[in-house]
Amino acid sequence: MIIGLQIIALIFAFSMVYFAVLHFKRGEIGKGEILSWAVMWGAAIVVIIFPELLRKFASTFLVTRVFDLMTIGGFILVISLVGSAYLRTKRNEKKIEELVRREALKKATK
Amino acid sequence: MVFEKSDMKIFIVIPFHNEKKHIVEVLKSLGKYKLPVVVVDDGSKDGSGSGIEKAKFKNVTLINHKINLGKGAAMKTGAEYSFSHGAEAIIFMDGDGQHKASDIPQFKESLEGGKVAAVFGTRNYKYGIPLLRFLGNKFASFMLAVLFKIYISDVLCGFKGITKGAYKKIKWESVGYGVETEMVARIGKEKLSFSEVPIEAIYHDKVKGVTILDGLGIIAEIIKWRFTI
Repeated sequence: MIIGLQIIALIFAFSMVYFAVLHFKRGEIGKGEILSWAVMWGAAIVVIIFPELLRKFASTFLVTRVFDLMTIGGFILVISLVGSAYLRTKRNEKKIEELVRREALKKATK
Repeated sequence: MVFEKSDMKIFIVIPFHNEKKHIVEVLKSLGKYKLPVVVVDDGSKDGSGSGIEKAKFKNVTLINHKINLGKGAAMKTGAEYSFSHGAEAIIFMDGDGQHKASDIPQFKESLEGGKVAAVFGTRNYKYGIPLLRFLGNKFASFMLAVLFKIYISDVLCGFKGITKGAYKKIKWESVGYGVETEMVARIGKEKLSFSEVPIEAIYHDKVKGVTILDGLGIIAEIIKWRFTI
């Protein structure tokens, strides 16, 4: 069962590394971003293959199973990413609104 | 009632999106009131804007948003233009022909002389407002009354007027349909004076306008504004 889960998680992690590299090659993300994604997914791959590495860390936080710790960590990561994506979208919406308005007011016709 | 000379400089602002069928008629109906009209084409794809240009209206300024931003954003663009071109107050109307130009004198009368900072149109329900909109509208009124201590009987009505002073205090952030409720919330928060005037409304297109999803979003926003404005 765990092996099955590990395989799925590994496929997912490697896919994400592939997408990160793809976006880097297309010039959509910079060197700093590809490096942070590579470090993050690299660490995830190591933890997926050797989950025991986190056992001590898990017990420190009174979490019995490593799997539970990873799930909690995953939730925290996802929530923070969604939050930051929401803020960026809002900022971009605002910029687009101001740009469209400025252009529209400049070209107002009687 | 036709205004030959107006004491207070009032502009009519009409935001619209894909209203080719109605917008020219709406503008024709405003002709006899001799008020400057600002129409904001919010990224229409049906050629509504070219219809207005062809009609060569006097006193009408056309502003084009290159992309569809939403009603709130279009209203703000119209307000910014009007107030920077000498307007002392503006009256918002919808571009779908649901509002009657013959109701304008009531708004003008209330706004003139700074009697009130804002005037809200109140639709007469005998003209066939869809039941779901009626219930949603009443719920929004109730929430605003509880959270902002201001009761407007027809919060979602787009026929309304505000003075320049009021605009400066209530500049809204909403780009979509949330603008109607945000304006009321801000007026409540700023404790600005207001009045309501009864208007007639005709529903040409029942599928346009605020959807159930928009309505739910508006309710969520009212709660958000309680903590943010």
